Amino acid sequence: MKVSLNWIKKYIDLPKDLTPKQIAYDLTLRTVEVEDVLDTSEKYRDIVVGKILEVKNHPNADELRICITDIGEDHPVQIVCGGSNLYKGEYVVVSKPGAKVVWHGEGEPVTIGKSKIRGEESYGMICSACEVYLDYFFPAKDSSEIVDLKDVDCKPGQNIADIVFMNDTVFEIDNKSLTNRPDLWGHYGIARELSAIYDVPLKELPKIDIDPNLPEYKIEIKEPTKCQRYVGIEIENVYVKESPLWMKALIINGGMRPISAIVDITNYVMLAVGQPLHAFDRTHVEGEKIIVRNARKGEKLLLLDNATLNFTEDDLVISDVNNAIGLAGIRGGKKDSILPDTKGIVLEVANFTAGTIRKTGKRFDEKTDASIRYEKNMDTERVDLGVSMSLQLIKELFKESKVVAYGDNYPVKTKRSVIDVPQEFLDIRLGKVLTRETIEKVLKLLGYDVEYKNNIYHVIAPVWRSTGDVSIKDDVMGDIARLLGYQSFEPKPLTIKFDHAVRQNDVLLERRLREYLAFRCGFNEIYTYPWIDIKYINAAKIDTTNSVRLATPPSPTLATLRSSLVPGMLEAVSKNLRYFDNFKMFEIAQVFEKGEYHESTLEETLPIHKKYLTGCIVGKDAKKIFYELKGVIESMASYCHMEELSFVKKEKPSWADSDVYLNVVCKNEIIGSFGLVSVFTMMESKIKRTNVAVFELNSDKFIPYASRTNNFEALPQFPLVAKDLSILVDNDVTFEEISKAIKSKVKYLEFIEEYKGDQIPDGKKSIMLHIKIGNDDSTMNSEQINDSMNNIIKILNDKCGAELRRE
Amino acid sequence: MKEKLEEIQTQGLKEIENANSISELQEVRKNLTGKKSELSKVLKSLGSLSLDERKEIGIKTTEIKNIFLDKLKEKEDMIVASKKVLDEPIDLTLPGTKINRGTLHPITQMCYDLNDAFLSLGFEVFSEDDISSEKFAFDNLNFAPDHPARQMMDTYWLEGTEDKAANERLCLRPHLTGASVRYLLKHGAPARFVYPGRVYRNEDIDSGHERAFFQYEALIVDKDMSFSSGMVMIQTILEKVFGREIKVRMREGFFPFVEPGYEIDMECLVCGGKGCKVCKHNGWLEIMPGGVIHPNVLKSAGLDPDEWTGFYVNIGLERLVMMRYGVDDIRLFHSADLRFLDQFK
Repeated sequence: MKVSLNWIKKYIDLPKDLTPKQIAYDLTLRTVEVEDVLDTSEKYRDIVVGKILEVKNHPNADELRICITDIGEDHPVQIVCGGSNLYKGEYVVVSKPGAKVVWHGEGEPVTIGKSKIRGEESYGMICSACEVYLDYFFPAKDSSEIVDLKDVDCKPGQNIADIVFMNDTVFEIDNKSLTNRPDLWGHYGIARELSAIYDVPLKELPKIDIDPNLPEYKIEIKEPTKCQRYVGIEIENVYVKESPLWMKALIINGGMRPISAIVDITNYVMLAVGQPLHAFDRTHVEGEKIIVRNARKGEKLLLLDNATLNFTEDDLVISDVNNAIGLAGIRGGKKDSILPDTKGIVLEVANFTAGTIRKTGKRFDEKTDASIRYEKNMDTERVDLGVSMSLQLIKELFKESKVVAYGDNYPVKTKRSVIDVPQEFLDIRLGKVLTRETIEKVLKLLGYDVEYKNNIYHVIAPVWRSTGDVSIKDDVMGDIARLLGYQSFEPKPLTIKFDHAVRQNDVLLERRLREYLAFRCGFNEIYTYPWIDIKYINAAKIDTTNSVRLATPPSPTLATLRSSLVPGMLEAVSKNLRYFDNFKMFEIAQVFEKGEYHESTLEETLPIHKKYLTGCIVGKDAKKIFYELKGVIESMASYCHMEELSFVKKEKPSWADSDVYLNVVCKNEIIGSFGLVSVFTMMESKIKRTNVAVFELNSDKFIPYASRTNNFEALPQFPLVAKDLSILVDNDVTFEEISKAIKSKVKYLEFIEEYKGDQIPDGKKSIMLHIKIGNDDSTMNSEQINDSMNNIIKILNDKCGAELRRE
Repeated sequence: MKEKLEEIQTQGLKEIENANSISELQEVRKNLTGKKSELSKVLKSLGSLSLDERKEIGIKTTEIKNIFLDKLKEKEDMIVASKKVLDEPIDLTLPGTKINRGTLHPITQMCYDLNDAFLSLGFEVFSEDDISSEKFAFDNLNFAPDHPARQMMDTYWLEGTEDKAANERLCLRPHLTGASVRYLLKHGAPARFVYPGRVYRNEDIDSGHERAFFQYEALIVDKDMSFSSGMVMIQTILEKVFGREIKVRMREGFFPFVEPGYEIDMECLVCGGKGCKVCKHNGWLEIMPGGVIHPNVLKSAGLDPDEWTGFYVNIGLERLVMMRYGVDDIRLFHSADLRFLDQFK
């Protein structure tokens, strides 16, 4: 919303030394956020009134004239001009050198200099309206027509901003900060806040009494829950003409466009007091009666731009005795618009409820200046302000006008909120004891009525705040605090209590997991959206039968909410392959599936949520990345201090290769899997010329240890003997078999490498082990060492068919 | 004899001088001080001399031996001092070996910084699930029945529930505040807790707007608290996170679940409050809304608003991170683009 400072000054006398910047600051801290402060005279700098003293032909150009012009300086100046309507004695608009103009009303503004045009000196230029932001003030028939100020009281040299009332400051206010304040959607409301902030009186708006002997204009309200009041005023002898310059300026600075005097008056009143108005052409309201009703089935309204609105029975319309003539609170139809042949009007000043307007507006995707205000929920008494101000302006602009009928149907009256605010409540919650005088003064400035009795403020909120904004004592407390300025309350320290000491093992575990993966294992953490492209879900062969879906997804392919993080991970892999060959990523996030789960209350049933931890390693060597990933999971439990994990091979994940995968078990339950991503899944995910190893674990199933639990083993008292052992076994002998066979015979067993190829017979593989042997009670002598080694080799031979490999 | 000794000394010192390595020096030591050295030979041949002469020569011989030992030690120290680890010089400008370390997402990092600060003040960390009902996302929080955020256009409702209401209408949570009621229902009051998480809004995205973004909300509920206590909390937290004193101001703001409500601004760190492009030339940056918990919210949580009060702040994590590093496009956070993420080591 735009707020004009000149307009505000009609309602309050601001302290003299106040700068617009200070006003913006105070409004921002106490009432609404001012986003910008603009000086509207800026663009009229060095643009002045000139009086043409003499018009001469240009010696070198037929279409140009030389104008000797008085611009209020010591001597008249010579200006070359191509205007079609130049004459001696004409008062014109002159852009002096240094002024900025928009050539022919198009493009960026350019700075005027002293120049020679076809050999003749020109001191600036004589302008048409569109070149110097005067279109609205002086509408021109064509672009060659320069502005003729013949009807304007002005003298040479006067700045044009003065002439068109544009010496003003405009505050740009963030509409979001106004959503709960219907009273601030007009200048009078903002003026009231400023009057309270600076403690200056707010001028009362003139009240026009309606002649009780006027004939009644008939108004029927069929939906009093949607339309709480409707005033219709029939006025004759009004017609289409230009508004005065002062009114145009305020309308422009208030953020709207001047159109014609009648429409401008309705907009002016709305911008002044926030009450929307609408004028219908009187002759087209059939039956001399307004009916406010729900639309009939199939009813339509033709608009001024020839578009058609198709109503539903839920829409509230303004109708004459036959047909709808307007969509209530949003816009009028074509038939009853104010057009050049208009001679009289029916003026609507009405109150429609917020929900009605919002619902209809949303359906037609229509927001108008009127509907924005109605949506904020306005009080019904504001209609009176609208009626008085509009009648006053109509009388002022159309001396010959006459009110011929008046109707006021008023089924629902806004009630002022009555609230008791105990003194003690204010003392504690404000954290500061304020005097009764201070509190009463602040509240009265804001329009409250206050009575103090038995340590309680009995407060009646102003009607313009009583439509939901102010309803409880906390609202009143808030008003006092904000008006005094939050800065004026000393911050009170919080106390620390020892029973607040916090240790949350599940929270700590999640952090350890992330840090383990990132810092120890070299993974980068990613976040992806919960809605997943169906392409990747299908690629991972994930069953969507139980998937939760969005009603209005970001796009049709993104309707499915994830039940696994793998598809999102695949998408991330395929994107990053453009820039990297080898990388590791992980994500922790919730996944969803249909089901019944009560998080807080039995009445609320939510889908099943699980928190998954998923990661991947990308690289060409499939075997290498698989073992790397296995290593990450093997060490996860001990590094992150949680219940041990073990592996089985039972259930193939949908995205995994048919051979290379394992399931992860915690406390006898499968809690996830890891393995190589299948060729099919990679192909469908556009992952080419590389391999991906993925793990996905249900991290809800992890059991954090309450503290570190690494076991301590006494250091060996007698030295161990280290030996490397290279054996040949059949291909199908597993490491698990080998390790089981000799585990009890060694103190320590480590796998070094597996090798197939040159020098190894077909069907065999070589395995290198590093072992340590020793006695518990003595140092091993060479005989014992030999015996022990021979024994180990024999066992390996018996149980695994292993032979010692000779170099 | 004396001349002989002098010759041995001169010759010996020359040999020490000429030795260029530890092994050469060892050889020289053996020659000069060993059993087969010239000096030993001199000592063995003393038998033919008088007692006095023997005594004199003996002293002289020991003297020479000590000189040799001193010189040998000196030379050895010299050789060790000049000895090199590598035979050949290396290129000292070659980069060091890379540490193979991944990254936490910058949002996670900021979240953990805040956790550390809040935990030190005795706050608990709570998390709510991503999907919530209209009851918890709106009704409990004093949103008007026709509040625009409830509409299809603003919130992601779940298919099949979009036309229902309250407990039965489900959505991806549009903000975190619903979790406050969940926590209070579960744990009661007094309470102080934070609840970080991701929220979802049906919006068009551009460099400043996202459909999924992270918030960090904190709530204190206690008796006899004043609204200004909240300001201390905010100041403390920002100081911990940014590592220095931060100027903060509170101004009027409106949110259904608070009364009074504030917008909380911090001094622009880019220009130090003087005014720059980042803060739109006013020296302040809007960083979080906050306010006193609305009595209707306390009632939803089963608490008596005449007894209890509380204070919320809600921090937009993206905004804070963008400020911290000068990131200019909010979409990067969900891009999973390692070129971006790898920068936050």
